[in-house]
Amino acid sequence: MDDGTSQYYFTACMDSGKTLYNILKSIQFQECAVFCAMQEGLKLTVEEGKCVQASAYIPSDNFTEYHVRDDVDVLFKINISVLTECLNIFGANEDSSLKMYYRCEGSPLLLVLQPQSMINVMTDCEIATQIADSILELRDEDVPEVAKLVLKASAFMGLLADLERSCDTIEINLSPEHPNVSIITYGMQDRSCIDVPKSSDMVQSFSCRQAIRLKYQLYHLRLTMKALAISSKVVLRSSSNGLLLIQLKLEKEDQRQMFTEFFILPLLDD
Amino acid sequence: MKCHVPGPNVKVLARTVHALARFGDELYLESLPDCILLRTLNASESAYAMVKLNKNFFSHFNYNYYSIENDGLKCKISMKSALNAFKSPAHMDKQVENLEIKLDPHSSKLIFQLKCKHGIVKTHYVSILDCKAMQAIYTKDLVPNRITSSQRLFSEAIGNFQCSDDQVTLEVTSESLIIKNFGDTPTDLSRIIRSQVTIKPFEFSSYTIGTDTNITFTMKEFRALLGFAEGLNLPVQLHFEITGKPAVFIVHNGTTIEAHFVLATSKPDIATQYTSQQTTNSERKRKDDSNDNNISAKKAHLEDLSNQFQEDSNLFNYIPNNISQNVIENINNLEKADSMDTNRDNIPASPTSKMKIASVFKRCFESTFDPRIIHGVVLAENSDSD
Repeated sequence: MDDGTSQYYFTACMDSGKTLYNILKSIQFQECAVFCAMQEGLKLTVEEGKCVQASAYIPSDNFTEYHVRDDVDVLFKINISVLTECLNIFGANEDSSLKMYYRCEGSPLLLVLQPQSMINVMTDCEIATQIADSILELRDEDVPEVAKLVLKASAFMGLLADLERSCDTIEINLSPEHPNVSIITYGMQDRSCIDVPKSSDMVQSFSCRQAIRLKYQLYHLRLTMKALAISSKVVLRSSSNGLLLIQLKLEKEDQRQMFTEFFILPLLDD
Repeated sequence: MKCHVPGPNVKVLARTVHALARFGDELYLESLPDCILLRTLNASESAYAMVKLNKNFFSHFNYNYYSIENDGLKCKISMKSALNAFKSPAHMDKQVENLEIKLDPHSSKLIFQLKCKHGIVKTHYVSILDCKAMQAIYTKDLVPNRITSSQRLFSEAIGNFQCSDDQVTLEVTSESLIIKNFGDTPTDLSRIIRSQVTIKPFEFSSYTIGTDTNITFTMKEFRALLGFAEGLNLPVQLHFEITGKPAVFIVHNGTTIEAHFVLATSKPDIATQYTSQQTTNSERKRKDDSNDNNISAKKAHLEDLSNQFQEDSNLFNYIPNNISQNVIENINNLEKADSMDTNRDNIPASPTSKMKIASVFKRCFESTFDPRIIHGVVLAENSDSD
């Protein structure tokens, strides 16, 4: 078997494809994603108009078997909606074990799915791959981090869900003074403001060196909602250039973790 | 005005706002020394709702917090903004600990401040559109027909009707009450399913019919008010007279909240919404003719204020914000009034632009249009000779 797999660029096995399906679904707001298999784990990235970059990161310990050839880059573009559709091929009520193969550059990604409740049923999927587009490198080590906020994901989702749908922009004010977090939305004629002090139960940790006022498109923040729904904890980091990084942690029943992260570019002041 | 609403009552207030939103697009708020009144009127002015929140509904109530004048405050806000502050009534009592409503006469914003669990404070600054109050004139006390029903009875009966039914007819006699979705004459063939529910008097908590009659009113508002009564677990009282006179539904708990929902009624066998309103308007006028002089005197200056309401706001009087403003407007209108009085009966002709457009392309609509008969300069020749 080892001789067989070594000729593949990338192979992986997983007992349950459900969580993988859920995490990919939560970043599936674009057709295509960049699939990148590294020694540490698997990462899929989608971009929305160079304004939002969302990644799902599945550390290799989530797989029962995980091999990546270290002499080549395993990087390709794949249709993420086709991939999620294949993962869910037996329907939402059926969990299935999963094997993934990728032979070499230009070859399709092979999926073999076997439902857990039925023996002798197997699905073989081949998904065409494309050469990957370049992805934005948004993380800049030189720009200092101004504020870091750790929140309960469900409570943060409640806040986002409660914001008025009709408004376009959201303003987030972070400050070391009370109220530490204040979220402002502007409607047609109205203004709504949500204040969250750092003493609140939903805030697990708060650090902010200086007061900062950030403006984003509300739609961009809403893209995180599917990921928030399946995550337990959310970390918001803001750099001095206004870039917002939202990191979400998903905890599985077997204590393993998967992550999603969203980079959101700020709106410029006019 | 500044008041605090305790957590459980925030849910009641949220349900109230959601019920009022089914009636109209604008919400009128008026603060009085001992209560707050919320009112709304639907676009066709055939339905009106008023909810009175008594002083003891609030944990803190100060109607003249900002001003020393002993004058209540009035404002009109958009219903959408109000809904935004009260998003999900069902969960509101679990999340919200306290609501503060602030209205400063010198500010252009009405402030709703919700203090939620987890120490979160949500503040909604809602724009004030106007400083007018609006009030309907209707009788609920001296009417021959009064029915009190549990909140479930009507909703269960209405549950048998189709969602597409837009009107409902109540046929009342002292022996029974019939709810149906059709009129007496079988002219309307578009209504495929005819539903009829008969309820015997003993089903109601009280049932007094002085005059046998049948009244027809809109289903949408009826469902909304029943939903409100059900949400608050309060009985519904129906006071009405005869066809054409408004039906008043009263939902109250005796101490903190009292809601009146007034629906215009029409004859049951009218097919379309439009004609039913026409009837209601004329019926209303007849009713108003018999009203006392006091009201008609009030109406006289209202006609100066807005001609728009001349025809159809006979039921609904707009009360101006304060008298001084009113005087200024009256002076402004003095010169206009003369000319207006003489022209009052003349209705200006409607614009005819539509006709002009039709005649520009008239030839296209002729059945025997032949493009060859158009003689003229060819501006762009056919590119292909074929």
